Amino acid sequence: MKVALAGQPNSGKSTLFNAVAGYRSLTSNFAGTTVEYTHGQARVGGEVLELIDLPGLYSLTPTSAVEEVSRDYLLAGDWDVIVNVLDASQLARSLELTLELLDLESPLVVCLNMMDEAARKGMTIDTHALGIALGVPVVEAIGVRGRGIIETFHTAQEVATGGDRPHAFIYAPEVEGVVEELAEKIAVSAQGQPAAIPKESGAGTEESGVRSDLRTPMESIGLQKSESQESGHLPALDCAEGPLECGGLTPPWNKTQEEGGAKPPHSKALRAISCAVGDCSTACSGHTPATEGPQGPRVPTALAEPAAQRPAVLPPTDFQAVPFQSPITNHQSPILAFPPARFRALQWVQSDPAQIRREEPEIASLVEWAQAGIAVRTGQPADAAVSAARHAACLTLFERVARVARPRADWREQVDRLAMHPVWGYAVLMGVFLGFFRLIFDVGRLGEARILTLFDALVAALAQHMNAQSALYAGVKGAVLGTAGAVAIVLPYLLPFLVGLAILEDIGYLSRVGYLMDAAMHRVGLHGTATLPILVGYGCSVPAVMATRILTTRRDRFIAAFLAVLVPCSARMTVIFALVGFYLGANYALGIYVLNIIVVALSGHLLARLWPEISPGMLMEVPAYRVPAPRVVALKTWWRLREFVLVAFPLLVVGSVVLSLVDYYGWQHGINAALSPLTALLGLPRSVGLTLIFGVLRKELSLLMLMQALGTTHVLGAMTAAQILIFTLFVTFYLPCMATLASMIREIGWRLTLAASTALLALAIVVSLGARAVMLLF
Amino acid sequence: MRDTANFASPINLYEAGDHAELRILLITGGWEVRRSFNQLGIQPGDRVRVLRRAPFGGPLEIDNKGTRVAVGKQLAEKIRVEVLP
Repeated sequence: MKVALAGQPNSGKSTLFNAVAGYRSLTSNFAGTTVEYTHGQARVGGEVLELIDLPGLYSLTPTSAVEEVSRDYLLAGDWDVIVNVLDASQLARSLELTLELLDLESPLVVCLNMMDEAARKGMTIDTHALGIALGVPVVEAIGVRGRGIIETFHTAQEVATGGDRPHAFIYAPEVEGVVEELAEKIAVSAQGQPAAIPKESGAGTEESGVRSDLRTPMESIGLQKSESQESGHLPALDCAEGPLECGGLTPPWNKTQEEGGAKPPHSKALRAISCAVGDCSTACSGHTPATEGPQGPRVPTALAEPAAQRPAVLPPTDFQAVPFQSPITNHQSPILAFPPARFRALQWVQSDPAQIRREEPEIASLVEWAQAGIAVRTGQPADAAVSAARHAACLTLFERVARVARPRADWREQVDRLAMHPVWGYAVLMGVFLGFFRLIFDVGRLGEARILTLFDALVAALAQHMNAQSALYAGVKGAVLGTAGAVAIVLPYLLPFLVGLAILEDIGYLSRVGYLMDAAMHRVGLHGTATLPILVGYGCSVPAVMATRILTTRRDRFIAAFLAVLVPCSARMTVIFALVGFYLGANYALGIYVLNIIVVALSGHLLARLWPEISPGMLMEVPAYRVPAPRVVALKTWWRLREFVLVAFPLLVVGSVVLSLVDYYGWQHGINAALSPLTALLGLPRSVGLTLIFGVLRKELSLLMLMQALGTTHVLGAMTAAQILIFTLFVTFYLPCMATLASMIREIGWRLTLAASTALLALAIVVSLGARAVMLLF
Repeated sequence: MRDTANFASPINLYEAGDHAELRILLITGGWEVRRSFNQLGIQPGDRVRVLRRAPFGGPLEIDNKGTRVAVGKQLAEKIRVEVLP
């Protein structure tokens, strides 16, 4: 039995999931995306449940790629029951998703998580009443304490086996009528052809046609409402009052909860609620989901206008297959016509007209017609009308089932007064990150030294037991050193970093960082949330690139990853300090850092110009601080670590083997010759060519190899001060190391990684040449 | 879609003072913007309070029935509000 866990972000889904699924669960990517989900198995009441923990989504009309995948998964219907996890302390808002899920008319269980949090806010929730109003089982839970979790899954089992399906949430007639008619029209236009065969075959029947003169109905109708009403331009509704009356919603600003008796939102909501309880006889009589209707072609009564006025302009549609095709699986739902036709129509009505025109031109005119129909009746855009109605219903429902007393005094308010303060907030931010890096470095250095000693001993032992002159030895040595690089140098830093990141994430501090840094990050074309990857980049580029995952758009991930690898990581720091700092003085080393910040800012600015932003700005929930659950932190760390091990380790080992063989066969001369144009351009000794290749394997290696290549540890004797500076600048900016490249491919795809690498290489050459020119001048 | 000229004080969310009780009148800026706000449960008619704002033209934090949301300057300017007494 497949159980899909769906809920809004920060609702505690993962806590619920991890409490029963645990370490053997897997994270996977949805096919063709970088969006992750977790799935695992749990034994509940003797049955093995397959659990899918979907990424959080606020609604079924998504605005981010992450939500889109969750939505697509739900609409693919590859599950037996949905467990909708709600943050009880945010009940009113969370119910909006629940109402949308009801529209799927499929097995659903509501889990009211974080009941303790709600109590702290002074809320008492009548779970029983909520269950009755929604028509689905509601289970209370406190995920972090393990309460109510088993009950939730038990209930899910019962619901799935019992086959109970909730009733859809019914909107006001002015919405419902249009939606129903749209569903029917599309069904009719689709039935003009065999359902399974898409596109060309079978022309649409006459009923599939819509008026071509309604192609831009918003404008045409907006101009001549009453007139068009009479001439039948609009869908006729079985609405008792005049359509404009019943659609004439009170202006939204009158619709607040304090006006208890205000009619429009309440009557609608109550009707909806009573409907969900089962008293549908009156309210729902007009609503029959088109799927349940006869399969033969249906002529909607409302369309009973002269056929001559209805040119069959609509191309045959393929709506069954097109709209919600899931990228995840080809699984076809066992339920005939899932999602329900009414649900689909409702989604179209709420969708972006421009997007529909772009992506589903076959039905665009029908959808526009329906949207215009709702718009003219409600006085606001269709999507706004629908979500306003849903919003009002949620508020009413909330008022009926929850009582809010005075909240208990909360220390977290005081924390935010400091952590989000216009001045002290930044001090806290610096303190947190300095502490964070301190921790990573202290733990990392401790581990690195010990593990490296082990590997040195291993290499020494190998030298004794093998022919030190053989190619095999060179290869094995390379493999051991490559493993050493991965295990001893990356892991000791990565592990504490991942633990720290998971903790910062789960506490909720990262959104505060986003809030504080938003203004600054706007200068480089990003939002506040992108601060973390870039700051982490000063430690190690690999986790920095992995941290770009918290960003929602591909563009933001790319720019953040690019800037994060541009920032000198700790390995490059050793090169900068050991070469420039040691031979030229600390001021020069600091100068490189300052130059780097300028280059980062300029690159960000340029990238933001080249790839303009679509999303208009920051809009982010600021979650309440929470104590992270150790189990969730451990699991998150483990999954991310495992991913790194799988992707980066093989590359490091293979790369290391290849380089030892290059060394063994004496190919370095050839490589140096091949790189001589570059080294000559930069005015560097020819022998440093190979060093640059080694630097790609691991940045510190470029330092060690430089000394080997020059045949001395006194670099200043072999290179001039200017050469040292140029070499260091080039190493600081050029290609990221192999492990970073691997994680970049993982996060942003190989195309963008290639683009970024090329750009970085070009940037490094420009910066180094600029430095050379400056030094030649002075 | 509605004419906003008849409101006495058509100020946007960003201009509104801190800690003031506000009522959202209108979310301008098209489908995408409306959706983003609706998703977080922010709708015309809601009472919200500005908790604090970040310096240098940064976002402001609002409270809407216990849900706290950081709204960037550009988006906050797309929201028409009225100040409640």
